[in-house]
Amino acid sequence: MQDILVRASGVRKHFGAFEAVKSVSLEIRRGECFGLLGPNGAGKSTFINMLYGTVLRSSGELTVFGEDPALNARAIKRRIGVVTQDNALDESLTVVENMLIYAAFVDVPKPERQKRVDTLLEFMSLGHKARGPIRFLSGGMKRRLVFVRALLGNPDLVILDEPTTGLDPAVRHLLWGKINQLKSEGKTILLTTHYMHEAEVLCDRLVIMNQGTVIAEGSPDALRQQHTPGYVAVFEKRDGVDFVQQAARSRSYQMIEDSSGVYVRAPQLTQLLQFQDDLKMTALQLRPSHLEDVFLKLTGQELTADA
Amino acid sequence: MLETLRLSSHIVRRNWWVYRKDFLANISPTITEPSLMMLSLGVGLGSFVAQVEGHTYLQYLAPGLAVSTAMFTAFFETSYGFFVRMTYENVFKAMLTTPIGISEIVIGEFLWVALKGALMMSFVALFLSFFGLFANPLRFELVPLVGVLIALPLGATGLLASCWVKNINQFQSVYAFVISPLYFFSGIFFPVAQMPQAMQWVAKSLPLYHAVQMSQAIFWDQDIGYAFLVHAPVLLIYSAVLLTLAYFQLKKKLQS
Repeated sequence: MQDILVRASGVRKHFGAFEAVKSVSLEIRRGECFGLLGPNGAGKSTFINMLYGTVLRSSGELTVFGEDPALNARAIKRRIGVVTQDNALDESLTVVENMLIYAAFVDVPKPERQKRVDTLLEFMSLGHKARGPIRFLSGGMKRRLVFVRALLGNPDLVILDEPTTGLDPAVRHLLWGKINQLKSEGKTILLTTHYMHEAEVLCDRLVIMNQGTVIAEGSPDALRQQHTPGYVAVFEKRDGVDFVQQAARSRSYQMIEDSSGVYVRAPQLTQLLQFQDDLKMTALQLRPSHLEDVFLKLTGQELTADA
Repeated sequence: MLETLRLSSHIVRRNWWVYRKDFLANISPTITEPSLMMLSLGVGLGSFVAQVEGHTYLQYLAPGLAVSTAMFTAFFETSYGFFVRMTYENVFKAMLTTPIGISEIVIGEFLWVALKGALMMSFVALFLSFFGLFANPLRFELVPLVGVLIALPLGATGLLASCWVKNINQFQSVYAFVISPLYFFSGIFFPVAQMPQAMQWVAKSLPLYHAVQMSQAIFWDQDIGYAFLVHAPVLLIYSAVLLTLAYFQLKKKLQS
């Protein structure tokens, strides 16, 4: 029983002159939830597609379950389940038909298909929609369906490519719960997201990607401790920004400015409270630093910006 | 290879499930177009025509119309139908995360178009036989064979077009400059011997003419052995070449 399911070393992919992934190295261990974070265009999906051979890498070493996806994608695909970024559901078929077709794709034996489908639809509370066509489902329901579709083959590794993008908080939390449930069942999870908070909640370890490169790697806590320890005060951007900046600089606090505000970071919360008092200003937020601060610090760039 | 065929059969099943959803809507042009054609051309225009190669005009028209159904079915399924599956519905994206690979998708589409061509042509032939236009019912089992032999090269043409077009509207050019001329000048409506020599050569070098010849032999129960010996190999060669081209073009298109 090997403990490293995915091993990537110097993996690169270019499309013509465009380098989508530039030398990514990482390891995903059995039983963990591993995050691939980064803004749109960071290369997350390209990397994921390389794992099961839909995109062929240009160079580097890559194995999944010890197999090279460029040579033996099918062996890998028998052991993974993928929540694709696009739902890619058959809109003209019913919920159950979508699932049954897919169950055949992943080699669920015929006598077991109906039962497996029913169980999974219940798992996601979609049983009452089973006989209806896909177009009667809301966006959140479609996403839930794609989520359980990925589980039909009882995969060892579940790959979630932006599973919660565009979903309302209720559905997002529901899916988080299900992801944790899968983890407790011993499944290995690879999650891509551009929501840093999501990664903080779910991931044991993660890498942050930007413009095709891994810029940081570790557990959410370790990354925070290493790159942005302490607390953050966010001030509104308006007249007086320079004043805040100067004050922060004179106290040698970390300071980053972006279009949404000025972020001042200090080791202690009390220091920031004092800072507010000194400036006679009230921060929009006072909070412990989180992964978004790490990202901002490492890239000097807003998270939402397209790379 | 067996594994590939087994997985490809899932693609056929998937397409069939989607097709049967709107079965009546999907099947109606297959039925109505040949019927209308038989009425307007066969009965209407045909009343001005004495005999063509020893047959009434209705009898002459019937085998070609059956073939043209298979041809249109194959082309539309692999152009518009396939293109929509590939780009708008994104169905392959999900399939490719399963043990199904690009080869299985392409071979599955080949199998599907062959099956559909055979079924549609048989359907029309059966319909025409009710009007006494099919000479010998014992020959009926040969009809789906011709359906497959024309569906494969035309299906491959549609798939190649799907690789080359930049948007769905461009299929209209393929239709206008490839499919329509084939339809009108391959001996469905009149014997190609009526055309100037050069045009005859062109018609005889293209697949539809040979499928029409085979269909006529079967419908009329005339020289069937000769038709299979002479025309079937041409269609097989066309199928082999075009399917190979389509296979590699699609692999290139779907693999990045």
